[in-house]
Amino acid sequence: MAMTEESPEILELESGETTPTTGVFARPTNASGWRAWFFTVDHKKIGIMYGVVAMFWFFWGGIEALLIRLQLFTPDGSVLTADQYNQIFTMHGTTMVFLVIMPLAAAFANYMVPLQIGARDVAFPRLNALGLWLFIFGGIFLNLSWFLGGGPDGGWFAYAPNTGVTYSPGNGMDFYALGLQIVGIASLVGSMNLIVTIVNMRAPGMTMLRMPVFTWMILVVQFLLLFALPVITVALVLLSFDRTFDANFFNVAMGADPLLWQHLFWIFGHPEVYILILPSFGIVSETLPVFSRKPLFGYAVIVISGAAIGFMGWGVWAHHMFVSGLGPVGVAAFSATTMFIAVPTGVKILNWIATMWGGNIRFTVPMMFSVSLVSMFTIGGLSGVMHAVAPADTQQTDTYFIVAHFHYVLFGGALMGLFAGMYYWWPKAFGYKLKESLGKWHFWLVLVGFNMTFGPMHILGLQGMARRHSRYGPEDGFDFWNAVVTIGAFVILVGMIVFAVNIVRTWLGYKAGTIPQAPADPWDGRTLEWAIPSPPPEHNFDYVPVVTDLDDFWYKKYQPDETGKLRKIADGNDIAQKGDQHPHLPSASYWPIVLAAGFPLIALGLIYNLWLSGIGLLLMLGSIFGWSLEPATDPDAGHDGHRDGHDPDLNDTDGSDAEIVEEAPVG
Amino acid sequence: MTATDTKLTEVTTNSMATHRPILHRAVRLSGLFVLITALTSCATGRIDPTDPIGENAKQIDGLMRLSGYLAAAVGVFVAIAVAVVIVKFRARPDDDPNDLPEQIHGNKKAELTWTIIPVILLVFLTVITIPAVFDLSGKGDGRTIKVEGQQWWWQFSYDIDEDGTPDIVTANDLVIPVGEEINLEILSNDVIHSFWIPQLNGKKDAVPGRVHHWRISSPVPGIFYGECTEFCGLSHANMQMRAVALEQDDYDAWVEEQMKASSVPTAASAKRGYDLFGQHCVSCHVVNGVYEAAANGNANLTSGYAPNLTHLMTRTSFAGSVFELYNDDGSVNIADLREWVRNAPDRKPARSDNRQGMVSFAEVLNETDLDDIVTYLSTLGGPPPLMPS
Repeated sequence: MAMTEESPEILELESGETTPTTGVFARPTNASGWRAWFFTVDHKKIGIMYGVVAMFWFFWGGIEALLIRLQLFTPDGSVLTADQYNQIFTMHGTTMVFLVIMPLAAAFANYMVPLQIGARDVAFPRLNALGLWLFIFGGIFLNLSWFLGGGPDGGWFAYAPNTGVTYSPGNGMDFYALGLQIVGIASLVGSMNLIVTIVNMRAPGMTMLRMPVFTWMILVVQFLLLFALPVITVALVLLSFDRTFDANFFNVAMGADPLLWQHLFWIFGHPEVYILILPSFGIVSETLPVFSRKPLFGYAVIVISGAAIGFMGWGVWAHHMFVSGLGPVGVAAFSATTMFIAVPTGVKILNWIATMWGGNIRFTVPMMFSVSLVSMFTIGGLSGVMHAVAPADTQQTDTYFIVAHFHYVLFGGALMGLFAGMYYWWPKAFGYKLKESLGKWHFWLVLVGFNMTFGPMHILGLQGMARRHSRYGPEDGFDFWNAVVTIGAFVILVGMIVFAVNIVRTWLGYKAGTIPQAPADPWDGRTLEWAIPSPPPEHNFDYVPVVTDLDDFWYKKYQPDETGKLRKIADGNDIAQKGDQHPHLPSASYWPIVLAAGFPLIALGLIYNLWLSGIGLLLMLGSIFGWSLEPATDPDAGHDGHRDGHDPDLNDTDGSDAEIVEEAPVG
Repeated sequence: MTATDTKLTEVTTNSMATHRPILHRAVRLSGLFVLITALTSCATGRIDPTDPIGENAKQIDGLMRLSGYLAAAVGVFVAIAVAVVIVKFRARPDDDPNDLPEQIHGNKKAELTWTIIPVILLVFLTVITIPAVFDLSGKGDGRTIKVEGQQWWWQFSYDIDEDGTPDIVTANDLVIPVGEEINLEILSNDVIHSFWIPQLNGKKDAVPGRVHHWRISSPVPGIFYGECTEFCGLSHANMQMRAVALEQDDYDAWVEEQMKASSVPTAASAKRGYDLFGQHCVSCHVVNGVYEAAANGNANLTSGYAPNLTHLMTRTSFAGSVFELYNDDGSVNIADLREWVRNAPDRKPARSDNRQGMVSFAEVLNETDLDDIVTYLSTLGGPPPLMPS
């Protein structure tokens, strides 16, 4: 049926191919080896690379966390010097926020959003690759500071004027300010790409309110990124100017008000909290219905509350500044707005519980992580309401009570959700399930370790233990709980080692053939990514599905019988697409990685020698020319990564691929 | 509902099926348990926000407990709901895979209910929070004391005759009379710090270029411990302070002593120490009446100030309240004082090469020099009106 309707689009494609070389440079055609990864524009490969690199930084940020905990294991710890401690807690926060949770969410967004909306790729594949490489180079650049005189030492929040050259004379804060600008560009181009993709490239029939909640939450997050990143970028540019060119944006002696930095930072920083948590909210909104075998309770309410959080998130930033001297009117106003952002969040929690209520719940590993998000995040949310009572916050802020609070939100919420997503989508991305038994060990160790680590921090905070102190004294009475916390941190480490073992063992088992190939629809899923093979072919969809319902794939499997009760009519694995078509895809490109490489050179030049910046700038400008002079598609690239010599008749002989809809690689 | 209730009965009678969920629930509840314990427990340390003494601290404590109990109640409700879900609605091995649970897409009434109930709770919290914010923000009606934070110690200035210039400049120990709402003017001489003596009041940031008003009061005499709580650089962990609350008479006596200028000592060792002090220390430190060159700040420190030492020995602590000035038996803590003078950056992290913190004199002063300087310092007033217990 769709065959005849969509055939004109093939003609459009064919016409593009009749003029094979419109550009100056050839496009890379290697479909295997490292080149297949370095020059790829495939959203799935890019998603996997985001994930792998983010997990490397998770390991690194975890080591930093363990060093912090070793230092605080006993009173007057001597594992680190005060200077090292300050650098490590600064980089622990910076790493976990910018190099772990944000890119892990980007990994899922890149991989899953096109699959969930029935698209063959994102709108701008080359831009997508640029975002990835900027993130990778930005992360490397930030951490180069360790080898070039020491890491940033001003805290991830980098309050002025402590981060000025006067008080932080090393180069660490330069690496921070410039590195985060690079990583910020990565997120910014990614956000525009995903917004255009989600708005324009949904399968026919997928209205906004038939879109999976994960894709919805990613859309909200991309808008938050789009508006929040420019704010932090402004702040970072001002800081860089102060440090590099002796500007006076934060120089009190020249009339600056250091609160300017705090406002800029938190106008970014609070939406950032929702940037970190909403993807996980999206993930559990997918897993809870699947494993409860029930539709999401109040889909519209969950979507709207997610969007509401996105809007309200802009009006609460000054609750980070209740003791900064805003005056009672400002404090009271932000206290009230902060209270009420708890409403849409609370609604989500209760809707998730209602989703599970009355269900037939399969406690697989992804489900266990999802349920732990619901309960652990709730604790973090509730302590958040306690901070909204501004006078109480004057006792709690900058103590371990806050550290406990935001780790319940970011670890108990965001990370638990991301773990759920890993176990849930692993078979889709890699073609085999992670072992459930090791997964359960991973889950329990992390859950117990997490509560041992961050639970007692509530007590320490209320006892008055301040954050960011490199030591406490024996007279402070903090010994016992600090010891428990440090032991808990190592329990988490053991859990993460089990996770690593799980990944390696299942991968080896899959290679050896002892771990079975995952079917297209291993969990009895509801959304379109389960309607294609695991792992998906490079082109994702043989034909673009036509969507008539929310959870369309589910209703292809289950239909009401004469009594109105849903009955299984088909197995998802039987009705899934076969992935055996070979449509044209965007060709790989050299330029995203080369263009991205220019940024750290410019940044290094700003710190050490402006000539280096000149080289970086030339590299960037050259790449932009190369990018624009590249042919739109390489005529030799062939279909689906196979070099089939581009036989235009193939489509005709193949007989069943007339529904192919091509997206020209405009990015 | 009746169908699911029956299901619950079946489940609870099946102990094999429930032992896992109970463990699950126990772990889940432990977080809440921690929260509740934390809210009700008594801390054992010196800095103790859970034992409020000052009027403001007591008011904050009430709000904190109220919001804490409310949060705990909601948390317990959610935990119970999750526990019920885990126990009651888990799949059994003998479930028919083709038999789907009832497909409920939502329920407007239920969703409205759990939107409105949190709104009511939060309106309640907001209504009690906002007046408290304004209550707690006013200036104290008692005397004004200037509080200046700098890396990494606190300076307190008293303008006794109210002529606009400080008459007493001291450090580390903030001496106040009991029963008076002290009006603090909080400033910073370099980066942002935060003033926090939790038993008397919450925190207030010290922001360079701004003056923040904050009030503290204590109804009883005593020593109350505090610390800097806004990250302020290398030695942030070593920037503490104490409030010493004195009965009015004791306070008046303290003021009288502090107003006296220092004089040149007569004993030989102290006199030599005095001379050495004049060679090595006076570019940063002030001793009223004898060494006042650095009184208006100096270029050797980014903040411009080092502690005024005129009545050093009337304080209980030194070096940002990191070290006790007296031993438990009441004798002067010569050992720490001597090592501090010898090599301060070794005892407390500092960046003296970048004008942040006291420099080392290890290469400059010999053992006799150190003895004499400490002897001189020991003559600077004292003992303190109140000793730490």
